[in-house]
Amino acid sequence: MAKILIPTPLRQYAGKHDAVEMSGATVGEVLNSLTSHYADLRRHLYNDEGKLRSFVNVYVNDEDIRYLDKEATALKDGDTVSIVPSIAGGSAGIAAPPLTLNKDEILRYSRHLIMPEVGMEGQLKLKAAKVALIGTGGLGAPLGMYLAAAGIGRIGLVDFDVVDFTNLQRQVIHGTKDVGRKKLDSAAETMLDINPHIEIDRFETALSSENALQILKDYDFVVDGTDNFPTRYLVNDACVLLGKVNVYGSIFRFEGQATVFAYPGGPCYRCLYPEPPPPGLVPSCAEGGVLGILPGTIGLIQATETVKLILGIGEPLVGRLMLYDALAMRFRELKLRRNPECPVCGDHPTIRELIDYQQFCGIPNQPHEPVAVEGDIDPVEVKAKMDRGDSFVLIDVREPHEYQICRIPNAKLIPLGDLPKRVNELDSADEIVAHCKSGVRSAKAVDFLKQAGFRKVRNMKGGILAWSDKVDPSVPKY
Amino acid sequence: MIRVEKQAWEAMVSHGESTFPKECCGVMLGSDGVVAEAIALPNVYTGPQEDFFVMDPADLNRVDREARKRGLDILGVYHSHPNCDAYFSKRDLANSCSWFSYVVLSIKNGRFDHANSYRPDFDQKEAPQEELIYG
Repeated sequence: MAKILIPTPLRQYAGKHDAVEMSGATVGEVLNSLTSHYADLRRHLYNDEGKLRSFVNVYVNDEDIRYLDKEATALKDGDTVSIVPSIAGGSAGIAAPPLTLNKDEILRYSRHLIMPEVGMEGQLKLKAAKVALIGTGGLGAPLGMYLAAAGIGRIGLVDFDVVDFTNLQRQVIHGTKDVGRKKLDSAAETMLDINPHIEIDRFETALSSENALQILKDYDFVVDGTDNFPTRYLVNDACVLLGKVNVYGSIFRFEGQATVFAYPGGPCYRCLYPEPPPPGLVPSCAEGGVLGILPGTIGLIQATETVKLILGIGEPLVGRLMLYDALAMRFRELKLRRNPECPVCGDHPTIRELIDYQQFCGIPNQPHEPVAVEGDIDPVEVKAKMDRGDSFVLIDVREPHEYQICRIPNAKLIPLGDLPKRVNELDSADEIVAHCKSGVRSAKAVDFLKQAGFRKVRNMKGGILAWSDKVDPSVPKY
Repeated sequence: MIRVEKQAWEAMVSHGESTFPKECCGVMLGSDGVVAEAIALPNVYTGPQEDFFVMDPADLNRVDREARKRGLDILGVYHSHPNCDAYFSKRDLANSCSWFSYVVLSIKNGRFDHANSYRPDFDQKEAPQEELIYG
């Protein structure tokens, strides 16, 4: 005789007993006696073919019979047989009930729903869509806000940066109160405030060759809001390898570009730019500046294309590079074609996995500590020379509009570009210190002057930014 | 209908939030359709747990025996759906057991959003929703 423990929900079919004694030499025999005795129990344990249902596990004492002799497992007197369901599941496998909009959502999306091009069908496509947004900065700000407002069901944000004051001139997703916060949190908060019906995945990381495929694989579309070449090539290659469309935008000063890359049959970023520019040739927004509104215009072109692609309406910006000039207020279009020789999306691709994009773009992987170059001088030392009344000339090689923002007293303004023609204003007998904003341009000025025969010329390390940090905090940083 | 008492409900919600973005799972104990206690169980699925959970039957067996000793029954099981709604997915249905109520908790961005309860049929073909009262 073996004792069979009856699971709670099945007791109603087993005379309300929580345990019954049954005879039989094997598990199969005992269960057979049980279900003969309590016929209603049978269908709960066995399917129509007379096999134990897939979710039924049977234990003899503490052993699962699957690891013994299954239903032929022999029983001795006093053994306890337990019937234990296997419980598993999970959200994957698409919602069994189709997506719907609730009353609040219907009201919210009313202006979409009344257009036949969107309608209920389109709004549900937006809700079902998953979009990865790389970067929550200049382009990411309008993108994130409008994609959220449009009702994109799931938006993945990738950013590792922290909000600072210089962002606020254009990154309207963040506010003054957010300075010092993670951009990811600040952006997600704004987006969820605009639309609490969406879901946001946060990836607090720099997109890299190690994580890009893993992060992007679960999204339908990728929107590139990054500001540097290595990441653009990375996003492009990852999209091509994963077969995802890449909605691209870039900005500089008063001009922007936008297009859709890696659309089936269309070109990719490498078809347009097979090689990155030499490092340092194209200034970043931090170096060259940007009209604060510009990323709004370009980001919204990207948002428009994303929504069109999801809805499957209109003519996507594929094979066309949109160029925007804010000063002329003019849009132009360049035709782009997929390059059959393209190393990543061409007919015979040679790039089949992600590579080292820092190296590809000529950027050293480990930015080594700046070595004290002979001829460097610390701002503190410059100040000490001033205080001692040492005789020397301080030249400021920035641009006049930068000089208007802030200056060091008694510095002589000679913009780097003017230096060759104004070198005669300097005396090679004088001791000269050059400075700029952060020390890069003044290093070039020092090189130039040395080649011109100046001997006593030094570069103020870290520029006026370091001066503000170390000497005079009243000097504004920009 | 299934009713979950406040303490048990809070335990289920905080379990779902604590394992986010992974799925949590556990058992609901009580009697006469009222859940008095939630027992958190480990999700033993060895793959990505963001959209799948598996309970170890040995855990279930142990919980069932302990519940019997205390005069409680297993009324149902619960699990979380991180960053999606509390629907009964194809995967849920394909792995369901008709003996229990299945409470699904939707956890969005790390916070409880809503929940539903389902009663799957024998053949794992349908899982009608049942009334869920909690708190």
